[in-house]
Amino acid sequence: MTPEAFMANMPRMQSFPSFFKYIWQRLGSMSLAIILLVVLAIASVIGTVLLQNQGQADYLQQFGPLWYWVFRSLGLFDMYHTWWFLTILGFLMLSLSACLWRNVPKMLKDMRSRKATVTDKALKHFQYSNRWQLDGVSDVAAIQAAFQKRLQGWEFRTAEEGDRHSIRADKGRWNKWGYILVHSAILVILVGGWMGAHFGFRGNMAVPEGSADNEISFLQGTQTGHKTMPFMVRCNSFFIDFYPTGAPKEFRSNLTIIDGGKEVLTSDIIVNEPLYYKGVRIYQASFGDGGSDIVLKLFHMDGSEAITTASTQVYKSWTDKDTGIVLKITDFKPYNVENLADPGQAKKFQDLGPAVEYEMRGPGLKPVKIKSFMNPFVDLNGVNHGSFMMISLTGDDADYKPVALGLDLTHPVEWKLFHAFMKHLSALSGKQSKQANLEAFRAAMNDVFGEGERPKGFQEMAMRTLQAVNMLPQLPWPILPVLSDFTQHYYTGLQLARDPGMNVVWIGSALLVFGLCIMFYMPHRKLWLIVQPKDGGMTVTLAGMVNRNHLVFNKDFHDLFTKLGDDFAGLSS
Amino acid sequence: MTATTAESGFFVALNRGRGAFLRFAAYLGAMVGIAAMAKFGAGAYEENAFLYQILSMKGLMWGGTGALAGCGLAVVASTLKPSLLDAKSARNFVPWLDGFVLMVVLAAIWALFEPAQSQISYDNQSNLFAGRVIMAMNVVFIFSAVSYIAYLFAPDSFIGRVATWSAYAGVYLGGSALLLRWHESYLFDLDIGHAPVSNLYEVFILLFCITAAIYLALEKRYQAKAMGAFVMTLVSAGVFFGVWLDSVGQADIKPLVPALQSYWMKIHVPMNFVGYGSFAVACGAGMAYLFRYRLESKGGTSKMLAIFPSLDQLDQLAYKAVAIGFPAFTLATILGAAWAAEAWGGYWSWDPKETWALIVWLIYGSYLHARVSHGWHGKALAWWAVAGFLVTVFCFLGVNMYLSGLHSYGHLS
Ligand code: HEM
Repeated sequence: MTPEAFMANMPRMQSFPSFFKYIWQRLGSMSLAIILLVVLAIASVIGTVLLQNQGQADYLQQFGPLWYWVFRSLGLFDMYHTWWFLTILGFLMLSLSACLWRNVPKMLKDMRSRKATVTDKALKHFQYSNRWQLDGVSDVAAIQAAFQKRLQGWEFRTAEEGDRHSIRADKGRWNKWGYILVHSAILVILVGGWMGAHFGFRGNMAVPEGSADNEISFLQGTQTGHKTMPFMVRCNSFFIDFYPTGAPKEFRSNLTIIDGGKEVLTSDIIVNEPLYYKGVRIYQASFGDGGSDIVLKLFHMDGSEAITTASTQVYKSWTDKDTGIVLKITDFKPYNVENLADPGQAKKFQDLGPAVEYEMRGPGLKPVKIKSFMNPFVDLNGVNHGSFMMISLTGDDADYKPVALGLDLTHPVEWKLFHAFMKHLSALSGKQSKQANLEAFRAAMNDVFGEGERPKGFQEMAMRTLQAVNMLPQLPWPILPVLSDFTQHYYTGLQLARDPGMNVVWIGSALLVFGLCIMFYMPHRKLWLIVQPKDGGMTVTLAGMVNRNHLVFNKDFHDLFTKLGDDFAGLSS
Repeated sequence: MTATTAESGFFVALNRGRGAFLRFAAYLGAMVGIAAMAKFGAGAYEENAFLYQILSMKGLMWGGTGALAGCGLAVVASTLKPSLLDAKSARNFVPWLDGFVLMVVLAAIWALFEPAQSQISYDNQSNLFAGRVIMAMNVVFIFSAVSYIAYLFAPDSFIGRVATWSAYAGVYLGGSALLLRWHESYLFDLDIGHAPVSNLYEVFILLFCITAAIYLALEKRYQAKAMGAFVMTLVSAGVFFGVWLDSVGQADIKPLVPALQSYWMKIHVPMNFVGYGSFAVACGAGMAYLFRYRLESKGGTSKMLAIFPSLDQLDQLAYKAVAIGFPAFTLATILGAAWAAEAWGGYWSWDPKETWALIVWLIYGSYLHARVSHGWHGKALAWWAVAGFLVTVFCFLGVNMYLSGLHSYGHLS
């Protein structure tokens, strides 16, 4: 609308009530409804393009200070809760109320009153109307009977006006209830949503196996909020089940609810099957390491052959007194399924076994992140390639590179063999022929296993030791921490939620779908048959009206007209 | 567009009156029976074996009892109120349900061509038969689109029939291939088995079939054949995308992540695609409208104009399609919310997929209002239908490709 037209449409503002009435009318207008729906759609797009509720530092880095400031002041990082978004929703509610208020009384009245008569003037404006001239027919009752027989399941009303006999047939008379249901359903849903937001909560709780907790945390705008539940949740155990491909198949927690110091309920939950207690639903949301006990073997690289152990836990730091090295254990996983096939080949998944992840720092060392596997790497042909690690020099997960250490460190004898070999190699003092190397290895074998004794599979062991000789001296660390044992504890990530508005939303939803079905599939169809004697015969007019779905009505109207024509022709003969 | 369709007497009798009514009741009864089995039967619903639960003796008992009960109720009801026999819902739905039964039969036949169990490996799924049926579907749909376009230029009834019949063939091939895929998913390992609506490739095939089926229903009822050139071209574009997905290894059957292991998926996803499919048809009608509008304003070839539905009819057809899609999409979104409430603890999280579903819903809601209110006429509404479908495409493709969220099952990796 142009401003001029807008002004022209404005009533003269003589009084506040007339202004108020004007606003009320605008609020209930269809154009406002369209605008509101489109504006809401456009506003919603923003929140899907801008990732919501991320760390402020990330946003600052992504957008630079200026845009960060602009976006932040518009609340775009938590957009669906900003005052302006809620205001749009509020307007929608107002507009819906206004339009219901205005239309419902009129519709209810229309649905009740069914005038059977139609004036000739009105007939001219009917989209569907057609007439027969029936000669030699005088029986109005027969005509009416034929009409009613063709319209099974319709409601009829008749009226007499002079010599003019009108029959009105209605189907889907309650169609306007569809409108009423749909539009009030939206209101109901919005009210339900508001109730949930105001009187409900939703937050997360991470409970390690064996412990209990009663506090949830949740995002509140850009901060984290906390809330205490009226009961404790204890996680007794947590299981994961895997598909043969290594993808997780099921997460299952066994939980006990402790209320007032008493165990009231013990149950398993899985994703899609939550637990319900005292109006709170408890969902399986995630899981992680809950502080597993870890035993690392520290292989000292100073030539002393020493192996010490470190017993610690995930999320703890452990300091080696001799070297000053600090190991910060960050994660532990009992299964590590990887695709071992070459790129381009059919995938071959294999579980590489347990691995611990830690950060290693120490005096004069560049900090690194390491994932150390407990088992040696055995390839698809069954060849043991020795212990290995994934090492990330930057600390970034994307930079993990596999490093084969050579030795199978689950066998301490290989550690011994390695040192014996190193000793004999250095005794060669620079002679680097293949023959000399072989000689040194043979001597090392004799040292470790006894003269001429060879363990089973010693060829592979020789390969590994050679690899280790090339590899291990390159490592800059005074110790090499390798996972040797563990006792796993998971934590289960639960989501706890209460939403007193949820049932209201479901009621609204049911009304909405029900209303839509009435609105679209039960159009209000009206037909009139007007019979008037003329020239010894009868003029019969069929007129129709429908409030939607003209395609079908058009077809049906013409079908009916043809068939009734045949019926009436039968009457006259 | 003439008023009545000439059809052979047998089909007319089959699809109306008592036969249709009783069959409809039996189908409904069987569905209720199966649902009751999932809910109350011994062992109840098992995600990993639902197909075989339906196909087992147990499923037969529950479904059969339901069908018989439905039939019985229908007999009683129609004796009490004979006008029920003319019920439109029975007449409209029965051909669809019959078609579904035919698809099941077809899938059972295809299953005979499956390679021996020893030849089946999860790592290389290329020898499974469904892949071949899908290839046939691709070819047939593209052929159908070409025929529909040819029909525009040479409005010959034979070409028109070929176009229509190949579209039907495509629907049956696609539908039966999906059912076969459901069966195939159990061949690797019972644990992996799941309904074929779990990844982008599968739902794409579902989308083609639903779009074509809805279009064919409209074509049959309203003789709107010229619209087929537009709808089937959209489907063909989708077919090319599907072939590309296959070529980048996205067509494999993969196990379901825990979040998707729910009977909700089997209801929510197909219902959503009824919505998407109808919106695609509405888009086709909108494009046909704009095409005809151009032809008319240029005083174009009269031969083509003669077979085109009128502008008003095309406008009504677009509306008709939206009238099918809007309630279906509304219901699908609500079902999704119910699922989210059960699986994640909240019915609405403003996750990108959810939000885009809302956006699509708002766009078509405003389309419907614009139709009722004055000031918006044919051409603008036709554009609206086309633009609405673009938004829809973004909702089910773009969101998976560009935005992250809970619905990452469709992620292209
Ligand atoms: C989210 C909000 C809304 C939804 C989902 C909705 C839905 C619908 C639908 C589906 C129709 C049927 C259109 C058709 O006949 O094809 C309709 C009609 C209508 N709506 Fe809404 N509507 C909404 C908001 C509003 C608002 C805010 C107003 C008030 C200004 C309004 C006023 C109307 C009117 C007057 C009709 C025509 C009813 C008739 O004559 O049958 N709607 N609405």
